[in-house]
Amino acid sequence: MAKLNGNWNYYQWADCGKGFGIHSFLLIVALTCLFPLFWMVRSSLMSMDTIFADTALIPARLHFANYVQAWVDGHFGIYFINSVIYTASVVSGIVFIASLAAYAFSRLRFPGRNFFFYVFVLAMMIPLPGSFVPLYVMMNKLGLVNTRFGYILCMINLGLSMSILLLKTFFDKMLPDLEDAARLDGCGRLGIWWYVALPLARPAIAVIVIFNALNVWNEYILAQLLLNDPSLMPLQRGIMLFQGVYSVNYPVLMAGLTISVIPILLVYLLMQKHIVKGLSSGAIVG
Amino acid sequence: MKKIVIILLGVLIFCGCGKPREPLNTITLWHWMTDRDPALQELARRYAKQTGVKVQVELYAPSDTYTQRIIAAAQARVLPDIYGILDKKEIFASFIDNGFVADLSPYFKKDNGAWEKSFFAQALDVNRFPQGNIYKIPPGIYGVPIDVTNIQMLYNKNLLKKAGIARPPLTFDEFMADVAALHRVGVTGFVSGWGEMWMVDCFASNYAFNIMGEEKVMATFRGELAYTSGEWLKVLRVFQTMAAPGVLAEGIVTKTNKDAEQAFALERAAFAFNGYWCVNVYNQMNPKLAYGVMMPPVINSERPMKIWGGAGSSFVVNNHSPNKEQAVAFLKWLTAKEQQTFLSQATLNLPANRAALSDIPPVLADFAKVMDQTTHPTIWPYNEHPLVTEALDRGLQSIVIGEKTPQQVAQEVQAVKVRVMAKKK
Repeated sequence: MAKLNGNWNYYQWADCGKGFGIHSFLLIVALTCLFPLFWMVRSSLMSMDTIFADTALIPARLHFANYVQAWVDGHFGIYFINSVIYTASVVSGIVFIASLAAYAFSRLRFPGRNFFFYVFVLAMMIPLPGSFVPLYVMMNKLGLVNTRFGYILCMINLGLSMSILLLKTFFDKMLPDLEDAARLDGCGRLGIWWYVALPLARPAIAVIVIFNALNVWNEYILAQLLLNDPSLMPLQRGIMLFQGVYSVNYPVLMAGLTISVIPILLVYLLMQKHIVKGLSSGAIVG
Repeated sequence: MKKIVIILLGVLIFCGCGKPREPLNTITLWHWMTDRDPALQELARRYAKQTGVKVQVELYAPSDTYTQRIIAAAQARVLPDIYGILDKKEIFASFIDNGFVADLSPYFKKDNGAWEKSFFAQALDVNRFPQGNIYKIPPGIYGVPIDVTNIQMLYNKNLLKKAGIARPPLTFDEFMADVAALHRVGVTGFVSGWGEMWMVDCFASNYAFNIMGEEKVMATFRGELAYTSGEWLKVLRVFQTMAAPGVLAEGIVTKTNKDAEQAFALERAAFAFNGYWCVNVYNQMNPKLAYGVMMPPVINSERPMKIWGGAGSSFVVNNHSPNKEQAVAFLKWLTAKEQQTFLSQATLNLPANRAALSDIPPVLADFAKVMDQTTHPTIWPYNEHPLVTEALDRGLQSIVIGEKTPQQVAQEVQAVKVRVMAKKK
């Protein structure tokens, strides 16, 4: 009533101010996240002549040909397929191995359990460049340099530590009663993992999927190290082709980046619900 | 469950099918130059057509990833037949020391040194280890330059015309007079990426060589001449003079070279200090830009200006390669006039072969003309300690923004030098 009369009391003003403040803050955060994406798409539609001179938000002339050039000159066709293969294989491998390992670390009792778990956690501390030389030497000895298998194995290895840690934390909170019930129904260890633990860990798995998919999709350093054959290279290599030693073809580079962002954006949008759940509600399982 | 495991294993086994190693009549070349890759691929095709030897050109970019790959491949003893070492000279030396790089001197000296003579001497110097070098490497030439580089000044023809300037300045006094004339018609005088310290260092080094000569610069590095000496104060005063209103682009000491390139390409400044690669950059940013190349204007007319330059990109031959002879033959072919001209025309880089100058774009030829006046820290007998260089470069930036005087900077740099020398002793 007070509102209708236009005479707000202190609490209503405070509420309104708080809401305005929060929304303004969130709007600024959203804008700072979205603006680089907008700028990328905008730049991808400009030409090299106008990209440095035209300061308008929307370019006067749109150059969609940049996308064609990025796709053709950057050999995006084959790189795109490679990236899809790598992302799907690595993410499946990580989910499969990490969920089994995390379940074992969480629910099984065996000698050296904590030791091995901390070894995995410690592996997270080693930066990727630090492991380049030993990784290359080992892969070379195994004859896995310049093979998809070698690259996939290395990428699985890179993503395991974080995924095991995340899933173990999740499985630790799983009620023992659920396992007992499954055991009464005739499930063995693998059965409990498959029918009980994995379905319950869906939010955590969603987080693992998106984080690792993002990592693999954006990875190119290890690919450049382990792969020689251009037909085995991932998408990011195509983007690198537009960055000259001294000069950069910005519009085509931005078009390439836009193309490369779309799939990962779709994965994120599809799994958004699970990711938010996985990040925020890991406390209660079952 | 079993099905999933079987499918996963199937996928992994399929993915594991690798390619067999290359046959012996195939040379493998690893490089990092994204902009030169199509031209190198084309040359490889031509070479295969002419000789029947296949050259597999493999690109690994960016350069830091390439360097990691080279180091890893060296450790695993799987270096390609031809590759480049992008690291410091001491790393280059360690590669030679470990037997990863072939000594190419006998090939260069063959036929009365015909191959050696075809290059600019400065281009070979980067790959040369003279007698008694500090790395204790047996004397010889260990790399083949495929292009050269130098850093000079550029001028915008239209803006100079607008200010009524008939020709680019030859002396520093003329330069300052031209800049004043440009200022009168509302044009900024000079832009450079002085936010990057090596650019400031390079500019200062040019004037140090011009004002006091190489011997005195080296004497300074050895600790025999102080930075507070009259000669060095003259060098520092160049920056103080240039800090006058209207001479330097606004915020020059915060500009990266990319920003500076953009400013010159968009005609926001009449003069720039930049490397030859700017030809490529300006061509992309503003193909209509009318500009010329000039040496930095001298202060001491009795001594020629020495600019930074030398080998741009070089390749080495794997000493353990079974295709060593074929690899050298390919590099010989690659650095011959015809191929160098093609590379230069296709990539707008300066050719390493002198004979190729006649057939390349005029602006590149202008850049390359003064290759004999180039020098570079990598070929100096002495180098300044990095801490002293940093103090000098920061000091120069401070002079430009009017924070410090040349005297103050000279004293500060000398203090760092004394500390470094004392520590050395």
